[in-house]
Amino acid sequence: MRRRRLPLAGLGIVVTLAVLTVLAPLLPLGSPTDIAKDLALRGPTVAEPFGMDDLGRSILSRVVYAYRISLGVAVTSAVLAVLIGVPLGLVAGYCEGLADQLIMRPLDVLMAFPAVLLAIALMSVFGTGAVLLSVALAIVYTPVMARVARAAVLATKVEVYVDGARALGATMPRLVLNHIAPNAATPMLVQTSVLMAIGILIEAALSFLGVGVRPPTPSLGLMLADGRGFMLQAPWMVVFPGLAVMLAVLGFNMLADGLRDWLDPQAPAGR
Amino acid sequence: MSSPWIFAARRLVLAVPLLLGMSILVFGLMRLVPGDPAVVVLGYKATPEGVRALREAFHLDEPVPQQYLRWLAGVLRGDFGLDFRQNEPIGRMILERLPVTLELTLLATLCTALIGIPLGLVGGARRHGFADRATLAIGLVGVSIPDFWLGIMLMLGLSLGAGLLPSGGFVPLGEAPLDNLRHLVLPALTLALSRAAVLGRLSRAAVLDVVQRGFVQFARAKGLAERDILFRHVLPNAAIPIVTVLGLQIGYMLGGAIVVEMIFTLPGVGRLTLDAVLERNYPVVQSTVLVIGAMFMLVNLATDILYGLIDPRVRRR
Repeated sequence: MRRRRLPLAGLGIVVTLAVLTVLAPLLPLGSPTDIAKDLALRGPTVAEPFGMDDLGRSILSRVVYAYRISLGVAVTSAVLAVLIGVPLGLVAGYCEGLADQLIMRPLDVLMAFPAVLLAIALMSVFGTGAVLLSVALAIVYTPVMARVARAAVLATKVEVYVDGARALGATMPRLVLNHIAPNAATPMLVQTSVLMAIGILIEAALSFLGVGVRPPTPSLGLMLADGRGFMLQAPWMVVFPGLAVMLAVLGFNMLADGLRDWLDPQAPAGR
Repeated sequence: MSSPWIFAARRLVLAVPLLLGMSILVFGLMRLVPGDPAVVVLGYKATPEGVRALREAFHLDEPVPQQYLRWLAGVLRGDFGLDFRQNEPIGRMILERLPVTLELTLLATLCTALIGIPLGLVGGARRHGFADRATLAIGLVGVSIPDFWLGIMLMLGLSLGAGLLPSGGFVPLGEAPLDNLRHLVLPALTLALSRAAVLGRLSRAAVLDVVQRGFVQFARAKGLAERDILFRHVLPNAAIPIVTVLGLQIGYMLGGAIVVEMIFTLPGVGRLTLDAVLERNYPVVQSTVLVIGAMFMLVNLATDILYGLIDPRVRRR
């Protein structure tokens, strides 16, 4: 039973954050964008537990709205990577030979760069913005998802039930989609959760560096970049957005850890 | 079957097409930049003559494959060309900044090993104990902390708050070794802590794996002290996966260094890359991304080869 607590807590965090972002306009929060100079740099109070930023905007409200971007970018990029990477990996693993080489070798090149560096290089070409950032991250993740799918196919296609289906005359798409792909679902689910955690981190890092989301949009990374200049007068400007990033990443990591233990009984316990 | 040297040689040969692919990707990517780079560089000052002169100077009027071959031939000779802004040789810019990044990475690797391995040993040796749970918790929280935020918090607490360490800047190692170290402690710790958390988790798993083996039970039955068992029997056998993970972590630090160098205003290659991206200085971006990417790949390759040399089972794959 103990083993289920971790993924449930992770799921709890992720779902809570998702609900918060969806319901943000209905919550009794201040506006994330309205400027109130007289409230600038005011510390945490009961009404505004995260304090105010240099323009007098509510940090709590900005954090909630920034989660929209964080989660939006993380989910979009992971889904795109699954949609592009998984079919590529399935085909590469099923066909092997030349098709495998043609698909996997270019993807190896993408994986040969550190993820943050590749994302920065892509953004230097794309320009800034949440949509472009999602596309850049999807490109960074595609080889990861393709590898996971390919490995699962290679492991499964030698199974007797796959031979059986083939002997019964199942076509290649049917074999792959009905008999092979479902067995790849577990590692892909775990990997997707890990990628969302990394996605939130990279979105924050790139926006912090000025190559991610554009300034009027509330983003946790941008808030940290703004807060750096007021670190000594108003430490809450850097403390809370950072904690917010950590909480979301922690949620997805706990979910991934739990899923791994939960869905794969053969994995070494407690990893 | 294959000897360790043939294994190493084969891995090295396979790295060549990968490096070529990386150079094509980087070069091609920078050609995808919308608009004429010459116009982008000259900005509002662009005149038709100026644009034409710049295009000629940087061979932008040649067919793209020819431009690529010219660039590649230069890179192989260590000549990365001139940058768009100051007309400085990019190779020299990188060489000047590389020692900073390498020193930072080396120091961070040391910190990672010194924090991560003991954490894993303590946790793995007493499964389900307090130390074990602490290792797991630190591991989970550690991988979730954004390192740029950790850097800001360390700066806020230890340098701006307590005034113990400088909050940024750099002093070359040759000029004042002690001062150089003082400037690099916080950046190295920032880079190391989340990697140490990962290393701690994986060391713990490696130790747990070895502890269950028959020879450890035998050593215990023989009456050896737990400490001797840990250091003489468990650690040497758990070392292979631990060293591998540490090797992979070094690679990731090269990526993380970009962010850390920016926060602590260190004049390294990562900072050079970021400044070039923000200034749209594409020849510099192209070169630094290739250099950092190649270092990342070579560190991973070295780890892979080392692993194969130590553990014969890997070579059969």
